[in-house]
Order: sequence, then C-alpha cells, then structure tokens
Amino acid sequence: MAHPTLPSDDELIPRLLANDETSYAQVVAAYHGLMVHLARAIVGEAIADEVAQEAWVAVLRALPKFERRSSLKTWILRIVSNTAKSRLRHESRTVSLDESLEESPIIDPARLKPNAHWASPPAMWHADTPDALLASAELRCCISDALATLPPLQRAAVTLRDMQGLSMEAICKILEVSESNGRVLLHRARSRIQMAIEEHEGQ
Amino acid sequence: MPSCKDITEHSSDYLDHNLPWWKRMGYWLHLAMCVHCRRYLDQLKLTIDTIGKSPDATTPNVSPEEIQAIVEKMKQSTKKQE
Repeated sequence: MAHPTLPSDDELIPRLLANDETSYAQVVAAYHGLMVHLARAIVGEAIADEVAQEAWVAVLRALPKFERRSSLKTWILRIVSNTAKSRLRHESRTVSLDESLEESPIIDPARLKPNAHWASPPAMWHADTPDALLASAELRCCISDALATLPPLQRAAVTLRDMQGLSMEAICKILEVSESNGRVLLHRARSRIQMAIEEHEGQ
Repeated sequence: MPSCKDITEHSSDYLDHNLPWWKRMGYWLHLAMCVHCRRYLDQLKLTIDTIGKSPDATTPNVSPEEIQAIVEKMKQSTKKQE
C-alpha cells in the first residue's frame, strides 16, 4: 500500500522520472525512515543510513526500467534489501539464507516427550499485556538483545511484518524469498523472541 | 491430530490464518484438549504484539535537513547520468 501522504504511484513515478525535486522530497520523507529500519535489520545500525542513501541512488538509476509488478514502495524496499545484502557480502559477513532457515527445532527437544507432547510445558508469565511486559527495562533489553542476535533475514522479516505491518506477499518480494521460506523466517524470529521472554519471565 | 510439537512448528501460520481448513480443524481439536498449547499460542500472540510495541519497532525519524541532503544527492546522481 502506498504512503497516505503520497500521490498514487501512477502520478508519482512520471514526476520522479522527470526529476521533480518536490516529488523527490515527498518520497524521501515518506520512505526513508522505513528504509533505514529495514537496512538496520540486515546490516546493523552503524551503516544502515549509508545503505539507505545508497539505495536512493540505485532507485533513481533503475526507475526507468521499473515494470510495476509491485507497488513503488515494495520495489524501493527490495532495492534496500539487495543493497544491504550486497554490503554484508562485501564485508565478508554471511547473509546466508540457510542460516536464517536453519533446521533446528522451534522447541528444545528436551522439553518434549518421545510422543512429541509437552514434558516441560510453558510456564505462566507474570504479565499478560505488551505494556506490562515492556514496563520492565530488563525485559526490554532482553527483547532487544534477542532481536540483535537473529540472523539478518529473520530480523528483516519480523521488522517488516510485526513492526511495520507489511503483508507477507510484499515481504517475500522485498527479501526475494518464496512464500513458504518467508513464513519460516518469520516464525523462527518470533519463536526466538518468545523464548527470550520466557527465559526472562521464568526467572 | 497434530502433536504439541506440530502445534509449535506452525503456530504463526495458525495465528496469521494461513493454514488450510483441514489443518486448522486439527489445531482446534488439539487446542480444545491441551491447556499447554493454548498457553503457548497465547504467549506467541503476546510476543508478536510486544514486538510491535517494543522500542525497536519505532521507525527512525528523518529530519527535514536529512531529507534535503538526500534530495541533493539524488539530484547530483541524475546529473551524472545525463
């Protein structure tokens, strides 16, 4: 879905192609924060802004060839994702999809009986609303740390879905993964955060 | 009927309404009988809502000066292309 403060893609794209400065400013105001958020998920905070700026130049360069198979927003975010992934590869850090789609089980097998039912079921949490959970500074840190240790593509999936509210269809286009892999990335990320909260709440 | 392990493996799909009806039926039957999986799912839902409200979920702010600086870079890049 396009940003509410922006004209439709049909109006905006020709203006961007005509190098209209006002349209540049509108589109940057609407999407740059989101682009930095996504870049931060993939490459980390230190170079996220640089990656997002680099992506704008790539957007302008590629715009004449934009085939409109997705919204402008999804297409721009795909360029950010690709720019960020190239940057990681460049720095010889892994951006392995295999790592993000690791086969490890969602639940520690030690918590299950041989018949795959709970041996050590989840304990009650002290809080039952997000606000009550986030009232604890220690738990906020714990969630932040758990997010920081996720593989990049899992972090990107959870950022786009649960923080930015994008559709799974758009997320799979942005991250260039199949729908089933996109769902695995998201579920693994959520489960890791859930386990981090559980460890904290179980103390 | 799915096991508790099956429930945990596909719980995001269940919450996001992405399971085929026959798998969904299996979930309902299991959840009707398993208090532990009901708690697991409630906690996953709470986790998702908490992620969305956590400080990390805030979209980074962009100041008017930053917007202007990026627009300048964009203008320069199009000039180079010409």
